[in-house]
Amino acid sequence: MVNVRRGQLRLILATVATAAIVVPLGWMWYASLVPETYSVMDMGIIDLGGGPGPSDHAGMDETPGALSVDTLTGPQTGTPDVAMTLTAEQGDLPLEGGPTVDGYTFNGSSPGPEIRATQGDLVEVTLVNESVSEGVTIHWHGVDVPNAEDGVAGVTQDAVPTGGEHVYRFVADDTGTYWYHSHQVSHEQVRGGLFGTLVVEPRAAQVEPPALDVVMAVHGYDGTDTINGRVGETWVDAEAGDTARVRVVNTDSGPMLTWVAGAPYRVAAVDGRDVNKPTDVEDTAVLVTAGGRVDLELTMPADGSAVRVGAGGGETSMLVGQDEADAPGTDVPDDELDLLSYGTPAPLPFDVTAPDREFDYTIGRRPGFLDGRPGMWWTINGKLFPDVPMYVVAEGDVVTMTLENSSGQVHPMHLHGHHAVVLSRNGIEATGSPWWVDSLDVGDGETYEIAFLADNPGVWMDHCHNLPHAAEGLVAHLMYDGVSTPYVVGGEDDNHPE
Amino acid sequence: MRSTYRVLAMLIALGVVLQAASIAFAWFDVLSAVDDGQAFADFDDDSNVGHLLHSIGGTVIPLLGLVLLIVSFFAKIPGGVKWAAIVFGLIVLQFAFAIVAFGIPAVGALHGINAIAIGVLADRAARQVGASDAVTTPRAPTAA
Repeated sequence: MVNVRRGQLRLILATVATAAIVVPLGWMWYASLVPETYSVMDMGIIDLGGGPGPSDHAGMDETPGALSVDTLTGPQTGTPDVAMTLTAEQGDLPLEGGPTVDGYTFNGSSPGPEIRATQGDLVEVTLVNESVSEGVTIHWHGVDVPNAEDGVAGVTQDAVPTGGEHVYRFVADDTGTYWYHSHQVSHEQVRGGLFGTLVVEPRAAQVEPPALDVVMAVHGYDGTDTINGRVGETWVDAEAGDTARVRVVNTDSGPMLTWVAGAPYRVAAVDGRDVNKPTDVEDTAVLVTAGGRVDLELTMPADGSAVRVGAGGGETSMLVGQDEADAPGTDVPDDELDLLSYGTPAPLPFDVTAPDREFDYTIGRRPGFLDGRPGMWWTINGKLFPDVPMYVVAEGDVVTMTLENSSGQVHPMHLHGHHAVVLSRNGIEATGSPWWVDSLDVGDGETYEIAFLADNPGVWMDHCHNLPHAAEGLVAHLMYDGVSTPYVVGGEDDNHPE
Repeated sequence: MRSTYRVLAMLIALGVVLQAASIAFAWFDVLSAVDDGQAFADFDDDSNVGHLLHSIGGTVIPLLGLVLLIVSFFAKIPGGVKWAAIVFGLIVLQFAFAIVAFGIPAVGALHGINAIAIGVLADRAARQVGASDAVTTPRAPTAA
């Protein structure tokens, strides 16, 4: 009898102990599952940032007269000043001077064609999906386009399936260096080459254009570094005394240093916004955030020697000057330019002292389940995806956001549809030129305070541009009160923006 | 149950060996590629096979540890629960070391040392099945 009871007791204890382990884990696993199809409108935790607005998620969806993102388009009529077709394909991608990799192309090349527009131009781009099986979109990274032109699958449009097409129309209001890339399964498609660059030049009368104006798109294909798709050194021609503007675009997932060796240079613009009164620097590198752009301007040395524009380090760099001229080496400078104190202050276009909304975007990392997968996942404000914030604003609001990162890794944070100005880093106020960004490198242990004007209604992604991180749930949204999207993530079109 | 316990414990010990192998492979792969001029920033879980394997192992071993612990409740191995709990505890600690090491890389050294402890103690747990056989067989009649 005793034996039997002891055996039973043991079995009960074993079962209870097992349940004590399995049930909470199972519940956490189950609670983490994300439906195959969902609207970002229904996702996450509403954050009003201290401003007014509906607190009820579902209520927002059903608000009568809610403005659909579909209506927030660029001009639907008028003859475009710049019109082109971008045809997306999937397949072998031979890198100039390097190996052939598995990748993607626009019009047969990666990067896709460079688009040049003049400020105020109406740009019309027809996207054709020739053979990309997962579908494609085009996001205009850094261009504050109307929401319907933003190209985010499942948020502002459906992914364009094979054989389909989609037309983007917007006015290039702001001069500067931008890039475009697919925002469907972007952690694979962008990495595989589905991107290109876009430059908006000032109207000729306004500024004397530089003698040389060249884009330097840096991209790693499967571990092979390239500049404008080419491995190794790229020569561009310039003569002694010429002014050269090199538009450096970081299309990768990590931060990158760029610099000029052989001549002083200045950082003329960051993320498509001019720096106010930039000063010359030498033997100094400047960091380009993943997804970010930095325009370097320099005067070619009088002695006819070439200059080298470095990107990350190594041979793959750009040489400017007469072919075969003496060029400096590839050493990375020790000093790094701090944009927080670079240039001269200027008044901001809105008052940041009394913001209408104040948001926190705190990034951490912890073990848990992400859609049923166990692992170490990113958290936003302490919670795992999909319990991420939904930041709600109203048009006209001045918004401040505190980006804090204690996750152990750097995160290049990208807000769609807006440019934000950096107010402070780690409590130290910005003292240089207004530092406008659409992509901001937030290092581990760093805190940035930024401000922006909510002047572009829609539903906007606000995510990490280390694209695999975004696919791991480091994604939130900014939404304007009264705006809703009819698109869903998943669904028939299999929309997967990350 | 007893042989399941032993196989699981042995798999964990074997897993530790594979984890050591994969991470060493990963780093020599990175160093060799960087030597050839590749940018360090281009490496991530997908492009470095060794690291990818280490990540997979880092998911599989905790699962094995969990199943070992659960099996130990039913396996009636004297000392079985204790050794399974120790192994599982060390695996949890290993996970914690990994998390902290992303921010404070020096803690990664503890991750390496603790790995050896997991391997040794998982092996000890596997041996407990045989050891308890020797002890329990003569005792069995007296239990009644």
